[in-house]
Amino acid sequence: MARTEEAIIKLSKRLCDMMLGDLEKAKRPVLEATKCALDNTLYNHKVGYLTPGGKMVRTELNVSSVKKMSRAVFMLEVLLRNIDSGAVNTKRELYYISKGEIKHSPRLKPLDFEEQDESDETIDFITEMLECYREDMNCYANDRGGQTYSQQLVVEETLPDGTKATIELSQLGTSPFQPKNRPQNLKLRTKGKVDFALIVESEGTANTLVANGFTKRNKCILLGAQGVPSNAVRGWAKRIQDQLAIPMYFFGDLDAYTLQNIYRTLKAGSAASLIRNSDYSAPDVKFLGVLPEDIEKYDLPDYAVKESDPQEARALKKASDALKNDPFFRDSRNKGLAKILHWLLKNKRRCEQQSFFSVSPKDPVMPEKIILEKIKNRVYV
Amino acid sequence: MSANPRKGITTSSTAEYFSKNLQQVGFSSQTKAVLTTLKEAVDNSLDACEDHGILPELRVLVEKSGAGTLKNSDRIRVRVEDNGPGIPPEDIPKVFGEYLASSKFGRGRCSRGQQGIGISAATTWAQLTTATGARVISKTAGQRKALSCLVEVDIKNNKGTLKEKDTIDWDRPHGTSVEFELDGRIQLNGEAGLTNYLLGNVLVNPHMTLHYKLQDADWVTVERVTNEIPKIPDSVEPHPHTMKLGEFIAHSHLFGRVKVEAWLRKGFSRVTPSVIEAMKKTQGIKKALLEKNVDQAGDADFKELYAALQNVELMAPSTQSVLSIGEHALEKSIQRLGDVDFFSVVTRRPAICDFKPVQVEVAIARQKNRAAGTDADEPAQVLRFANRVPLQFDKAACAIVGALTTVNWRTYGLAQPKASLPIGPYVMAVSVVSPFIKFKNASKETIDSSDELVEEIRRALMMAGQRLSRHIKSEARAADLERRIQHIEQFGPILVEGLVRITGASASRKAKAEEGLRKILGRDAKEAQAAVTEANEKLEEHLKASRARRGEADDDEGGGEAPEEIVEAPPEKAKVLKKSGGKKAPPPAKGKAKAKGRERALRADGVEIFGSESPAMEEPGEGSPGMEG
Repeated sequence: MARTEEAIIKLSKRLCDMMLGDLEKAKRPVLEATKCALDNTLYNHKVGYLTPGGKMVRTELNVSSVKKMSRAVFMLEVLLRNIDSGAVNTKRELYYISKGEIKHSPRLKPLDFEEQDESDETIDFITEMLECYREDMNCYANDRGGQTYSQQLVVEETLPDGTKATIELSQLGTSPFQPKNRPQNLKLRTKGKVDFALIVESEGTANTLVANGFTKRNKCILLGAQGVPSNAVRGWAKRIQDQLAIPMYFFGDLDAYTLQNIYRTLKAGSAASLIRNSDYSAPDVKFLGVLPEDIEKYDLPDYAVKESDPQEARALKKASDALKNDPFFRDSRNKGLAKILHWLLKNKRRCEQQSFFSVSPKDPVMPEKIILEKIKNRVYV
Repeated sequence: MSANPRKGITTSSTAEYFSKNLQQVGFSSQTKAVLTTLKEAVDNSLDACEDHGILPELRVLVEKSGAGTLKNSDRIRVRVEDNGPGIPPEDIPKVFGEYLASSKFGRGRCSRGQQGIGISAATTWAQLTTATGARVISKTAGQRKALSCLVEVDIKNNKGTLKEKDTIDWDRPHGTSVEFELDGRIQLNGEAGLTNYLLGNVLVNPHMTLHYKLQDADWVTVERVTNEIPKIPDSVEPHPHTMKLGEFIAHSHLFGRVKVEAWLRKGFSRVTPSVIEAMKKTQGIKKALLEKNVDQAGDADFKELYAALQNVELMAPSTQSVLSIGEHALEKSIQRLGDVDFFSVVTRRPAICDFKPVQVEVAIARQKNRAAGTDADEPAQVLRFANRVPLQFDKAACAIVGALTTVNWRTYGLAQPKASLPIGPYVMAVSVVSPFIKFKNASKETIDSSDELVEEIRRALMMAGQRLSRHIKSEARAADLERRIQHIEQFGPILVEGLVRITGASASRKAKAEEGLRKILGRDAKEAQAAVTEANEKLEEHLKASRARRGEADDDEGGGEAPEEIVEAPPEKAKVLKKSGGKKAPPPAKGKAKAKGRERALRADGVEIFGSESPAMEEPGEGSPGMEG
């Protein structure tokens, strides 16, 4: 859940005070964080996204964990200072800030991070412990993906200094709107009615559709996910769903990776981000395709999954695991999606979103026509 | 196809054949020529000493004596002197100048030399490249003066000839010195180097004292660490299942006029009256055939007998013909290789592989100097031995390397890339002893890797790995404790200071928290210390058990003779390689007689005592690195 700056400062101080109190009594302080893993993941279709179960990760102070705890307290101090001053940083920058602090204070040398992975882990540990988003602690990821086009959408952004900016997407020419990592600051409205939002897996294909006039001919919002959706894309989709209440569709490849890593994350979040799924998933998004039946109907070129390719083999293995263990795919409301996974495992074939361009090669608008036909005829899952 | 009648078919002598094919017996390059010459001379000396119950003392010299006649070669002098029994003058031309003249051929014994080819080949090489054969000085106990001569090979007739004969005074009761002048190149270092060859011999011959001088370096002396001469078990009769039909028939010629049944029972091992009965009953061998004289039996009879013997069940061959160095001697010997952190040795019980008796022994040591050097990430050094002869070429195809790379050394705490040799400052010595070792080639460079032999070697390696892992674990625990203590000192104050800054707590709270932290982490340190102590105690128990297994007393005061299998080798013990002129290694102390007595007592039980480890405890299983150490 998102927390306010005051709440984070208060919670951090309380936590540190508790640890200090334990130490004074020669008692081992214990830090608890929600366990973010598939075995602690619940799914209820009424909630719509993956939520954490009751399992916690307990870190008790001992010789093995003293380094981890010292690093956490050190990094917490850096983050609290950022909140206080209003400075923002990426994880990479925080890695270097830490190195700088350590360089100027030789006593801190043992804390030094050799790789960014180590400082990233420390930041994640802090956010899991405080149950907040790293953006709440002024730590932002770069805003990858989510380039959005629409002739109807108007975005109002509240800036850190409290002033407001209004962005009318129809006035941006060929430039897209780029959603930010903290979509909570964005307020949406539309000029006139919007029929649907379409999220396209490939940023390139999204741009092609727009260049060919998709957003001019249709009252819609079109955005590119650019592969696995970043926090910005996920939060943005959630914002569109909550504030505009329009039908939302996802258009991507027909393969196990897209279904599990891209679509599932967009719709219900992921096990690794259990504590933030409530604000970073859009449960209403439907899977428009490519569907197995589309291959036959439109005679799409598909091809065999290369099991010799480690990445594809892993995706298949994950798909079969997901059918057994992932509460999202096991839920009865998602039978349709599970059925696609079964189809993929059985047939070991895949079909890409761009294959729609093969249907009528001389007609650049053909993919748009198929997408609209599928929406009209409700051919989606 | 028909032979050209004008040319006709000619026969050539064995010497002629080998003189044209010296590459087949180890003279395939200039560096190998030097190594093979040295090797053949050393093998002969050691075999002769062992045969006559003499503790060998060898002086080896290899040096450049000028420019060679071959392109890019040097003229090399190789001299090996021993204190062996000496060679009777009439035998000298046979030993050094005649091919296939051997006292060991086909005897089924575990001697180093087998066919009587090697040293004659060395003479031939010297003769072909420098026109000088082998210069020999030899004196037996019965001779008042020594015979000095030059032996050359009469290649046409496969005979040795003596030249420049002279009788000289020689300052020793008996012994032999052989010197070759040959074209070649000296390679000192690396796997195929002379140093490696000599160190290998040092390891597997704990009873040998070696003085050596290689090229321009000073004389080096390595003292013997045991006075026990390995007893070479008597040969046993051949096992019918290890023979081919031709060998079977040839074997009959050794027996003259005896009945077939008597020949089968006396001439072969494991052919018992019940086997003869089984041949009659199940294989249809007629009584008349068994009562025939063997010299009157025809090829059809032999074929019938041979087929019948192959089809009846026989006991596996006896393992009594193999010899072992023994764990005790290996332990002492491995410390002669340099400063050793710790080591483990294993002598497997003799086993049957591919119907041949085989005994595998393994010694693994971690070297201090290599650990401290820059090559700690290099693969372990492998020393391979077949019948106690170091093997230095064609490593990849060898059964020993095959076994080494398929053991999962990570289980025992060593680093190892997949399907490769383990990494680190280790010396891994594997000795395979058998009266019938199957080599891949005539120059005896590689042991043929049969599945059964590789498995037997693997088992020995795994046992050694288990024993080694106790040391490694104990060391890891100690390092862990060190790390924990460091953690306490490093992170404790930083943690408290951070908490104090964030909460804005008072100095008194800070002092109290620091005190509390020390108490908590001190408790952890105590636990870690207890774990280290426990690991060390277990290691000590294991060492006691292994000493007890060898029948050693725990508090053996004759420590000069019996170094323990130990973590920290004391410097005076570890530093065995000494330059001549320096202080000699301490003479065997008073415990010597006692130790000798022990060894004898052990031998009284037969060779199997060396494999008397308790298999229930130590039979290797890769998943389980043995007992917790």
